[in-house]
Amino acid sequence: MRLRRLGVGLAVLGLMAPACGGDDGGGQQTLEEESDEITPGDYEGETLDVWIMQGTNPDATPFFDQVSSAFTEQTGADLNVQFVEWANAYDKFTTGIAGGELPDVAEVGTTWTPGFADAGGLVDLTDRIEQAGLTDDVVPELLDTGELDGALYGMPWYSGVRSIVYRTDILAKANVQPPASWDELADACAALKAAEPDMVPFPIAGGSEYGVDPFIWGAGGEIASESGGQWTATLDSQESREGISYYTGLATDGDCSTPQASTWDETDLSEAFSAGDAAMIIAGSWTPKALIEANPDLAGKIGVFPIPGPDGGLSPSFLGGSHMGIFNTTDEDKLELAWHFVEMMTTGEFAKQWAQQTGFFPPESSQLEQMEAADDPLVSPFVTQVLEAGATVPVTPAYSKIQGNATMTAMLNSILTGKASVEEATATATQEMNDVFANG
Amino acid sequence: MPNRQSWRAWLLLAPGLATLAVLLLYPLYRVTQLSFQDFGLRELNLGGAAWIGLGNYQQLLEDERLWQIVLPNTVGFAVVNVALTVIFGTLVALLLFRLGPWMRGIVTTAIMAAWAVPAVTGTYAWVFIFDSRRGPAMRLMDWLGLADPDTTNWFDDRLTFFAIATINVVHHGFPFVAVTVLAGLMTVPKDVIEAATIDGANAWRRFWHITFPTLKPVFAVVTILSTIWDFKVFTQIYLMPGGDGLNREVLNLGTWSYITSFGQQEYGLGAALAVMLTAVLLIITVLYLRVIFREEEL
Repeated sequence: MRLRRLGVGLAVLGLMAPACGGDDGGGQQTLEEESDEITPGDYEGETLDVWIMQGTNPDATPFFDQVSSAFTEQTGADLNVQFVEWANAYDKFTTGIAGGELPDVAEVGTTWTPGFADAGGLVDLTDRIEQAGLTDDVVPELLDTGELDGALYGMPWYSGVRSIVYRTDILAKANVQPPASWDELADACAALKAAEPDMVPFPIAGGSEYGVDPFIWGAGGEIASESGGQWTATLDSQESREGISYYTGLATDGDCSTPQASTWDETDLSEAFSAGDAAMIIAGSWTPKALIEANPDLAGKIGVFPIPGPDGGLSPSFLGGSHMGIFNTTDEDKLELAWHFVEMMTTGEFAKQWAQQTGFFPPESSQLEQMEAADDPLVSPFVTQVLEAGATVPVTPAYSKIQGNATMTAMLNSILTGKASVEEATATATQEMNDVFANG
Repeated sequence: MPNRQSWRAWLLLAPGLATLAVLLLYPLYRVTQLSFQDFGLRELNLGGAAWIGLGNYQQLLEDERLWQIVLPNTVGFAVVNVALTVIFGTLVALLLFRLGPWMRGIVTTAIMAAWAVPAVTGTYAWVFIFDSRRGPAMRLMDWLGLADPDTTNWFDDRLTFFAIATINVVHHGFPFVAVTVLAGLMTVPKDVIEAATIDGANAWRRFWHITFPTLKPVFAVVTILSTIWDFKVFTQIYLMPGGDGLNREVLNLGTWSYITSFGQQEYGLGAALAVMLTAVLLIITVLYLRVIFREEEL
């Protein structure tokens, strides 16, 4: 016992020393392959601290009560779940990193994982994720976003995707079918504008990066490309410009949008839709429930279609979601316990329940295929989008800085307001991105 | 025993000085230190930030955005807002001075409410008023035929954006000026005013030749404080549509510093910006104090 304590003490010293000396590779813990199973009572008296994002699950408390008692039954340890608002979660993590006040396990937004891993904040989970057999079945975009330099730092938990949510009654009134190509989308706007002049047919939100991404990818472009570990922005490529030009053109030259939308973000889109001011919006798979809750009159009048490709087919859409990550500050002898919790949450019964309660998707393709087959009009089109046309923004710590700098949305805003042409705005954004890629 | 006296004085000052050191001097020192380092999220976690000398300052000073957008926005906004806040606040103070006790109580309560409202709440209220879809201001302009809500977004244009921000900031800032100047007005000797009135001085002359010179120190204080507040305005800009970096034309030193530090996790660069902001404020304050008190000894 004394020896073990000494071992822990040395390990802690070992973790602290490089932190003081500033050794880059220091302090990194890795969870290697599992040796033996946890048996009930092994962790009697221990507490596992967990941060979970608030609002994903409207009934999170009963869910976690259930998880908590199952966890204690299996391990003997207590579970301390703290809910964190998405809006200030990022700041809470960074100040937690600065002050050394992090939980053992936390839900981490997929776009944040590489950045936290790069900062040395997360435990390498590669062996465990492979051992859990998840690498074969999980939706690849979700797994890739947790990767840094070939190692996995985030266990996929749930995902969500954006497609187009529309008013079935308004489209029927205008005699418009859900568009299946880009030309049809523009035509649909014109018909909707004629039938319902007081509504915005398809607002183009200047503050929503994930609205323009599908059109860049749909035109065959990329936000940035990697070669030999070095990222280069490709927003100024012919294809990317074509996509951006089409998407912003829907507002500047077409009938789809309104100048007001140049400063809107996704919340404004949802508000406009539930207020009955918009006929079609780009919205997440988790939103239909909330839209109907905000305006019960919309029940039965909402439909979904995947984002169309230029000439039929689909345009890829950003597949976001959450990982479960274990923080490096976790005591070494609690790592096993932390992993046990991660596995409990992300696989099997609890993962399934979570998906059902939240409207987000479980990470495994096999489960998704079952959901698609169930043919729920507010779910299946999103699942189709995930399985056939999911995509992700560049997986590099630099990209969260680019998002923090609002590079993509500033580009959109400047085009939508006529302050810059597509050529100028994409050139500026490319330059801005490349500066970040170059300086890290 | 002068030695013992000063020892006692220091002892009595110690708690105050210790508090200041912890709350003010250490953060000031740390921000300055950060501004000379390449400090990101990684350094925050693992330590070992590299010293880069004046690298951060050089990068900022070479950024044309600083000269074309950020500084003009910051300085222009501060000048206009300080002037409007002080003028409007003084007018309200003069009004309050003439009112009877009942009316004065009512008006003071009303303007105190504007002051007491948190900046966040106030900003959202003004944003709503000028919102294109539902805002009462847009409806009124539409009704008057002066603006078309279908084609207008006041938050896109630099001038209208800052006009709305100005209304917000002045509305939030003038009560302080009004109450402080009112307190000053109460101290102006009545007989001097009476004598001037008998000599035939009108209200305008009485204000400029008696009230204003007497209240100079009060005006100095409210102007300096307003300058400091309006120069580093952040919340009221950041929370407006497009103010969070989306609309690059409306960045000011406060929002730029925040986006750089916390959006991009370039804490060193953000700290350099903060140091520059502090330096500019100090210079303005010193210059201003010298002008105000040029005849007197400070």
